Amino acid sequence: MSQIVTLEQLKQTLGAKLAAGAKVVAPVLDGEFASFKEIADVEQASFVPRICMQNSIEEFFFPKHETIFTFVRQGNDVVLNDAPDFDVEQIVVGARPCDAAALPVLDPLFAWDYDDRFYQRRRAKSTVVSFACTQSDAHCFCTAVGGSPENTHGADAILFDLGDGSFEVRAITDKGKALFDGKTTESDKVGKACDAPVVNFDVWKIADWIRANFDSPVWEQVSLRCVGCGTCAYVCPTCHCFDIVDEGSYKKGKRVKNWDSCQDAMFTMHASGHNPRDTQGKRQRQRLTHKFVIYPDKFKFYLCTGCGSCSRSCAQMFGVRPCLEALDKEVQ
Amino acid sequence: MENELRNAIRELLEKQEIDVAIGYGRVGVDGAVGAVFVTSPDDVEQIVWNDECRQNLAVHLTRPEVKAFGKIGIVVKPCDARAVVVLANEAQVDLDLLTIIGVVCSGIKRAKPDGTTADEYYAKCETCVQHTPQNVTLVVGDVAEGEALDAKNEQNAATAGNNAKLAKLRAMTVEERFAYWREQFSRCVRCYACRQSCPMCYCNRCVADKNRPTRIDTSASLKGNFAWNILRAFHLAGRCVGCGACASACPAGIELDLLNLTVSDAAKEHFGFVAGTEFGVDPLIGTYADDDKEEFIR
Repeated sequence: MSQIVTLEQLKQTLGAKLAAGAKVVAPVLDGEFASFKEIADVEQASFVPRICMQNSIEEFFFPKHETIFTFVRQGNDVVLNDAPDFDVEQIVVGARPCDAAALPVLDPLFAWDYDDRFYQRRRAKSTVVSFACTQSDAHCFCTAVGGSPENTHGADAILFDLGDGSFEVRAITDKGKALFDGKTTESDKVGKACDAPVVNFDVWKIADWIRANFDSPVWEQVSLRCVGCGTCAYVCPTCHCFDIVDEGSYKKGKRVKNWDSCQDAMFTMHASGHNPRDTQGKRQRQRLTHKFVIYPDKFKFYLCTGCGSCSRSCAQMFGVRPCLEALDKEVQ
Repeated sequence: MENELRNAIRELLEKQEIDVAIGYGRVGVDGAVGAVFVTSPDDVEQIVWNDECRQNLAVHLTRPEVKAFGKIGIVVKPCDARAVVVLANEAQVDLDLLTIIGVVCSGIKRAKPDGTTADEYYAKCETCVQHTPQNVTLVVGDVAEGEALDAKNEQNAATAGNNAKLAKLRAMTVEERFAYWREQFSRCVRCYACRQSCPMCYCNRCVADKNRPTRIDTSASLKGNFAWNILRAFHLAGRCVGCGACASACPAGIELDLLNLTVSDAAKEHFGFVAGTEFGVDPLIGTYADDDKEEFIR
């Protein structure tokens, strides 16, 4: 027997959470663009499984712009005030399995040499409900990095669209169980995800090639069409580089954390004017090496969930999958 | 026409008039069209020409790794050809090293958010009347009957793209327009994809990257986002050719082309200046004329 929830029951559940002061994040449709947004009313959301999203759920755990502390000059003193802790319950619903899977990938990073309380608070306060995929496209490659259309990694519960205005609920964690406790009914209907995307390359072998070919001219060749716009990093559910800057005046201001991208030439510019990654080929090599060699060596996860958002968003028709496919030709 | 283009490029490569041809090829996921860099006559079959050739390839001309090729042949659409003219007028490309291969264009289909091709043309193409590229070394293709216009009219119409949307924006009250841009800019993630995709944004160090002192807030907050997007629009005054690469690249789907076209139209309205129509013209912002009117500042 399975547990099912109707769309109305799902909306009521989330509506009750909103009424209780929780923050609810869900896919919102704006014309042909779908993005994850905080909603004020459940009717704003679109509870349809989608693979093409303008952003990932990452920004609700690691915001694109976040204040660390504020400072104000008082007489001869400077008074520092920590930014308030994230202190509300957060429900993220409608995540793609590849979005949810990014969270366990990021967890060790934000608890490694420094306990990032900003990320950890949000993570502790959040419940993530994903939608099993109902379709895949040519950009999807979750299967190459250990994922699948019904991957539950990082999700507290996963919903399978039954196509009749209801979803099969599979609670994964206690948080997921708690969210749907008493909201579901028993049924003999069982949800099914779409077929896994077909991938003809082996990331493990490509990672070995990357290890051995730091100075290969192939990096420049495959990256020629990349203009370094960094969109790939900003839509990526796992990219997490940030920059810390002070904003304001010397009298009053704040220290903030902003997203950054290794595809930007300024990313590695030294104060001397020397730039160790002075071409797009070197920057692309860094991106791929970080995702498929450095990060798995350190944290045992690929820094990529195969969501394909990078290549869907790339105006130059590049991204991780096209790059991996180009490198795969070198492996063979 | 695709074969004609390949033959032209093969000949240029064989005669060693160019070291590399920057054209369009099926390089992306599912054969999506993007830039290819062809250095051997044997590889010209990689080059394609169709209504999915979206990118403005002129953006590559100022990149050090592309300049390193030497003599460059570049495939341009009529709107992109104007970007090359602006770059030459601003001394950013050496015309002696450049072969500009213009292709006759009857419109490009826009990409949907998932990267596939929509069954509709870009707004700029719907109103475009410039099908034959001007100021190019050679033209490939013929204009379909009824589409030919004389060069002068084409130049005058050069900023006509997107006008329907622009007109709607201009019909708004100041408050409505502010609310519109407020919503648009609230989505900006400050990735600077607009800058990187723009042929005119070739500065070695962008003002947005200056940090001693910081000129504009780098945060993706409304204040910083307004500052960045307005600043970039101002820097494009009399320079933007309306290719729309910024809007195509924006991951947040901000209608940056409208913003930049507004400034282009102001250059046209107040100074009679249309960017990229002629070689040897001094940049609008870099010149002063006795009869410049000043009312626009007041």
